[in-house]
Amino acid sequence: MESAIQLSCFDCSLRPDRVFCDLPADALEAFDAIKTIALYPRGTTLFQEGRPARGVFMLCDGRAKLTVCSGNGRRLTLRIAGPGEMLGLSAAVSGTPYEVTAEMLDNSQVAFVRRKDMLHFLRMHRDACLQVVHLLSQDLHTAYDRVRAIGLVRTRQHGPVKTAV
Amino acid sequence: MLSPYGLEIVESCLTCKLRAERIFCDLPNSALQAFENIKYATAYPKGAVLFVEGQSPRGIFVLCKGRVKMSICSTDGKTLILKIAEPGEVLGLSATVSGKPYELTAETIDPCQVNFVKREDFLRFLKEHGDACFRVAEQLSEKYNNACHEVRSLGLSHSAAEKLAKLLLEWSGRNGEAAKLEPRLKLALTHEEIAQMIGTSRETVTRLFAELKKRQIIQSKGSTLLIRNKAALKLMAGA
Repeated sequence: MESAIQLSCFDCSLRPDRVFCDLPADALEAFDAIKTIALYPRGTTLFQEGRPARGVFMLCDGRAKLTVCSGNGRRLTLRIAGPGEMLGLSAAVSGTPYEVTAEMLDNSQVAFVRRKDMLHFLRMHRDACLQVVHLLSQDLHTAYDRVRAIGLVRTRQHGPVKTAV
Repeated sequence: MLSPYGLEIVESCLTCKLRAERIFCDLPNSALQAFENIKYATAYPKGAVLFVEGQSPRGIFVLCKGRVKMSICSTDGKTLILKIAEPGEVLGLSATVSGKPYELTAETIDPCQVNFVKREDFLRFLKEHGDACFRVAEQLSEKYNNACHEVRSLGLSHSAAEKLAKLLLEWSGRNGEAAKLEPRLKLALTHEEIAQMIGTSRETVTRLFAELKKRQIIQSKGSTLLIRNKAALKLMAGA
């Protein structure tokens, strides 16, 4: 771990650059109070697809791999999440199981917020809720790109063109 | 008031009877009143295109009645249907929020009532109404969930047969048919459209249906499908 652990979001120098973290002071204070900070080594599984959503994980630094899994154990990488991203957000908001598995690719600092606390926080702080809407929109864009990349290439492979090439 | 497409248009959200059941629409009074002021209630015939993938976002479309086909397209004209949107869904949401082009094309497959809200109005509305903002987060989460499901299905299924079996099982789980030994479902899509949903050709879908019928796994009468051997279908789906 290159940098020392940063316990308070107020001391974080990276905050202004991050979509979610750049919150007004009162919201930031509330977020600071509900989050717990942990350092995770590379290879740690933050959460597993299909498990009930316990809460959200904010990547303070480092990267995490998001994968989906088939019934017979085959895996497909959805994307690599980077610093400043909030993982497990959609599952926590909708109360459904995690859609993906998140595994740390670096030794990183991660802030965890329990689902119940996060939902309460979002209801109390409109700015934060708006940031979350932006984050979810971004996630959705990336997911659709992935669908396009996988789905339309496969379509072509199944078509008659395959033999002609 | 009756519209030309035989739809009964609900002009005001305040008096809409369906509101309570809908995730987005069930807003507190103040937010609902504000929404009422910025929305335009419109009716579309079957086959109308609400927005096209790649267009810059004009705003959101709340689907009040009817169903809408959501699809993506490759440059060589191949289409993949991601979802059939049902009443209560908000379409064009993530593009409107982020300002990026619409990711999908939305085309009505029934006569529809759609409430349109312009982008600037909608963004202002979200800033002013925390409750609505939360509902939008919920809607986006649901869509994300669906997109991940799609990635899994397209990327990790071995064959078209597996994907078709999964799709039929998913459809058969609706309308209280899930618990039945021989569930019945209504096929609302053509073979071509089913092919576009599972990323294969129309010919393959027709061949697979014929095979399923021959093996007595399914039985069809008109557009109604009876699943006679659910276990065999589950085995095909790899579940």
